Formats: sequence, C-alpha cells, structure tokens
Amino acid sequence: MADPRRPNKILRYKPPASDNNPTLEDPTPDYMNLLGMIFSMCGLMLKLKWCAWIAVYCSFISFANSRSSEDTKQMMSSCELSISAVVMSYLQNPQPMSPPW
Amino acid sequence: MKLYLLFALLLLGCGLALGKFDDFDDTDDIIEYDDNDFAEFEDASDDVPQEVPQKVTTVQDDEEEATVEVEDQDENQEEFEDPDAAGEGDAEGEPFDDEEFEGYEEADRPSSRSKDPIKIVNVPHHLQNSWESYYMEILMVTGLLAYIMNYMIGKNKNNRLATAWFNSHKELLESNFSLVGDDGINKEPTSTGKLNQENEHIYNLWCSGRVCCEGMLIQLKFLKRQDLLNVLARMMRPASDQVQIKVTMNEEDMDTYVFAIGSRKAMVRMQKEMQDLSEFCSDKPKSGIKFGLPDSLSILSEMGEVTEGVLDNRMVHFLSNHADKIESVHFSDQFSGAKIMQEEGQPLKLPDTKKTLLFTFNVPGISNTSPKDMESLLPLMNMVIYSIDKAKKYRLNREGKMKADKNRARVEENFLKMTHAQRQEAAQTRREEKKRAEKERIMNEEDPEKQRRLEEAALRREQKKLEKRQMKMKQIKVKAM
Repeated sequence: MADPRRPNKILRYKPPASDNNPTLEDPTPDYMNLLGMIFSMCGLMLKLKWCAWIAVYCSFISFANSRSSEDTKQMMSSCELSISAVVMSYLQNPQPMSPPW
Repeated sequence: MKLYLLFALLLLGCGLALGKFDDFDDTDDIIEYDDNDFAEFEDASDDVPQEVPQKVTTVQDDEEEATVEVEDQDENQEEFEDPDAAGEGDAEGEPFDDEEFEGYEEADRPSSRSKDPIKIVNVPHHLQNSWESYYMEILMVTGLLAYIMNYMIGKNKNNRLATAWFNSHKELLESNFSLVGDDGINKEPTSTGKLNQENEHIYNLWCSGRVCCEGMLIQLKFLKRQDLLNVLARMMRPASDQVQIKVTMNEEDMDTYVFAIGSRKAMVRMQKEMQDLSEFCSDKPKSGIKFGLPDSLSILSEMGEVTEGVLDNRMVHFLSNHADKIESVHFSDQFSGAKIMQEEGQPLKLPDTKKTLLFTFNVPGISNTSPKDMESLLPLMNMVIYSIDKAKKYRLNREGKMKADKNRARVEENFLKMTHAQRQEAAQTRREEKKRAEKERIMNEEDPEKQRRLEEAALRREQKKLEKRQMKMKQIKVKAM
C-alpha cells in the first residue's frame, strides 16, 4: 500500500466554533454565571443566607461547565463574589440558617 | 294564756333558727355554729361534723388552705341537697372519698396544677453554643465538598478515557496523516501528538496531510462527568459518550451526492435539522434490511444508485458488525451544517457548502464506560479511512450525474424564488436611497443656477428610464405575439 500521507498538503487547524456563537452550543456556564451574580447580590443586599449559598453553588456549576476559551478571571470573580456574600451574611447575622419548612 | 306564750316563743325560736340556716354560706360563721342549731337537720348534721374534721385534715394536707375551705363549703351545700349521696362511702375512714365530694377533683385540680412541671421555653439559638444548630450550614458545606469530589473524579475519568482512545488510535492515524494534532497556534505546522482539551468533557484532534482530504477533525464528546447535576440528570436519562469525526474532502476527490445512514431516530432528526438532507433527501428514512443491514439502521439517500454505490460489501460488513456503535454516517457534497433560522426570513445568499464525510459513533458501555470501550472503536476508524478512499474512487454514472445536477439546479432555483421578493425589496430600498441622496444634494446647492441645472439633469434621467421601460414592454408584447 502506498503511503497516503502528503506532508505538502497540510492545512492548519481552525477552531470550528469561531464563527458560530459558542453560547448556542451550551449556554449552561453563562446562565449559571448570571444566576450566581444575581443570587449573591440578593444575598448581600437583602441579607438572605440561602441566596448566598445558592450563589456559591451556581458559581461552582458554572466553573465546572466552563469552556477553555472563557476568561478565568470572570469565573474567579464570580466565585469570590458568592463566597463574600456568604461571609458577609454570617458576619452580620451569626444565627444559623433556618430551613423553610 | 301561758300556753299561747310558750307557743309564740317556740315559733320565734324556729324563725331564728331558719334565719341562721340562711346565713350558712358565710364562711366566718362556720366555727360559731353549735350542734343545737342543727337539731332540726339531724341527718345532715351527722355528716357535717364528720366532714368538717376531714376537711380540716385535708386542709392541713393542702398547701393553700383558704381556697380549699371555700370550695369545701360549696361542696357541703351540695351534700345537704343530696343527703343520700352524702351517706355513702364514709365507713372506711379515709382522709377523703372521691364519691362524697362531687367536684372535689375540680378543687384538687388547681392544687395539682400547681404541681405541674415548669414549662421550659426554648433558649434562642444565638444564645446556644452548640454546633448542632448549624446543621443547615453543615449540609451545605457537605454538598459543596461532594460537588468538588465529583468534579475531580469526573475530570480524571474523562481524561483517562480520552488518553485510552488516543493511545489505541495513534498508530493508525500517524500512518495515514502526516500531521496528527495541531492546536492552530504554533507558527509551524508540527504534530503536537496529543489531544486538544477544549473542556473538561470535550477533546479535539486535527489530522491533516493526506491524499483525498484536506483534513480530519475528531471530537471526543464525553458526558459531563465533572458536573454533579449532570450526573444526577443522567441517572434519569442515560446517555453515552460520542466520537464525532468530520472529514473535509478535496473538491476534485468526491462526486456530487448526498447520503446518510444511521439509527432511525438519528436519521429522522437529521432530516429535519440538516440543510442538505432536508433539500436533497425528501423521502422518509428507509430500513437497511434490503441491503443486508440490521433493521436498526435507516438510510436517507438522494437516489437509489448512490445507496447501491456506497454500500459495497466491505461497508456492509463494517456497518453490520458495529451497528450498535453507529449513530450516523453522512456523506455530502452540499454540506453546510444545520438549518439556520434567521429572524428576517431566508438568508439572501445560499450558504457555503463543502464536500464532507461525517461520522458519529456512540461509545459502548453506557452506564460505566471503561478505557477498553474506547479501544473497541478502532475498527470504526478503519471504516472511516476506507470511506475516504472509497469516496475518491466512487463516481456516479452518466444518468446519476444528470439527476444530481438537476437536483442541485432545482434547489438553487427554489431558493432564488423564495428570496426573490426579499431581493427586490433590497434593490428597491437601494434605489430610493440613491434618489434621496441626490435630492438632498440638489437642495443643499446654494447657487440657484446650479440647482436648476441639476434638477433638469435629474428629470432627463427619469425620462430616459421611462422610455427604456416602455421599449421593453413593447418588445415583450411583440415576442408574445
């Protein structure tokens, strides 16, 4: 069998999703990022502990689903915001969280 | 006379006695009563002195004497009203008898109530110092730790599966392509010899430098094992890892046909979603039994000749043996991706097409994929290489080629018709814009002479256009005649 390789016919790799909107393929990290920010603002402003905890979860889920092309700075800032929301809620009100039932 | 006086005295005495009986309710007087006052009420009086000492003893037993006395007085009243009841139960000489005293339990109750334990109110949480009250927080932290653990485990597993796949396929790929692995960033095209990690669950590999094709992009789309939510969702709805291969063919190395084969579900879905399959393969997916394939596989084809040409013995052999792993196989010279839904309606230009071979394989072992399952995909890669060579060799005969060209012309015509109205609109708007711009120029012209001249020139142009149109109409009429 002849060698099928042709070194002179090499084409460079072009990332396929550069034209299309990457959000179309999987919007989970963006939604979770947004939700996390909203919940942490609610937790900080309204002093709701459960909001702050949900924000932490959202930022973790967003991080786990994130694409490599996304900015790590944004992920980190969202994580830090949610953790600060939790810490501030407990500093202002050290009482434990009561369940809704 | 003396008899009458005695009788009157007796009557007075009775009246006094009755009057004193009426005052019996007064608690202060109880001690002053003598037995003589009760001479007329001998039945009841026998009980009273017995009851009173009993009461006294019970009073001494109780802590609150005053209230008990008052209530005992009330009870005595009731006793007098019902002497029969009072007569019973006294024989044993107990300190008190339940049956004698109606309502005694009521009297006793306040005293017994006072013996009830003190009600302890719960101490507010913030005054407590125990960790137990923080159980919600502990739950939350435990959940987060579980998520992080799952992230690490899932990420590692995906990595191991990708590495296993690459190690088993590396030799075959390197023998067929001169460039295996390219990140697109290096200045010189050298083989990186490893997968590009796009995500924790998506790995890419670009291979290039071969006869027939421009390049081959392999995408390993694993399940999101690193996301706990996804893991839980998959417990309800099982899914499998996928390997997607896209081979971009050279223009001269593939004939013009559209063909797809795969699981029935996938074929139905692709017929709706893919631009080329919906335009060229309008028939419903046919079962593969006619061609010696398992019933689970369905075929979408532009024409029968293409199906017969593509499905030769070796392909049938590949497809039959690995039917469970094949999601879809799609050969097309008009491939442009999925249908684009634009808001303004149809796009004004036909989308760019490329001659492509697409393969989607499901990794076996849905519930628990192991590296061995990734290795079992190697024969399918052989099928891919074979398909590339076959696509170059396979040519439609003259009849088939004519049909194919007709189909493509038809599709283009349809597209132009649909967009005709839109293109007309676009042209109209352009013309109006030009007119408006010219009018503005004329208005802005300060010199009246120049203005007049420009207006005249515009009028002349309009007249010429009208004349041209009239000529065209006349010509059409003549032709029609």
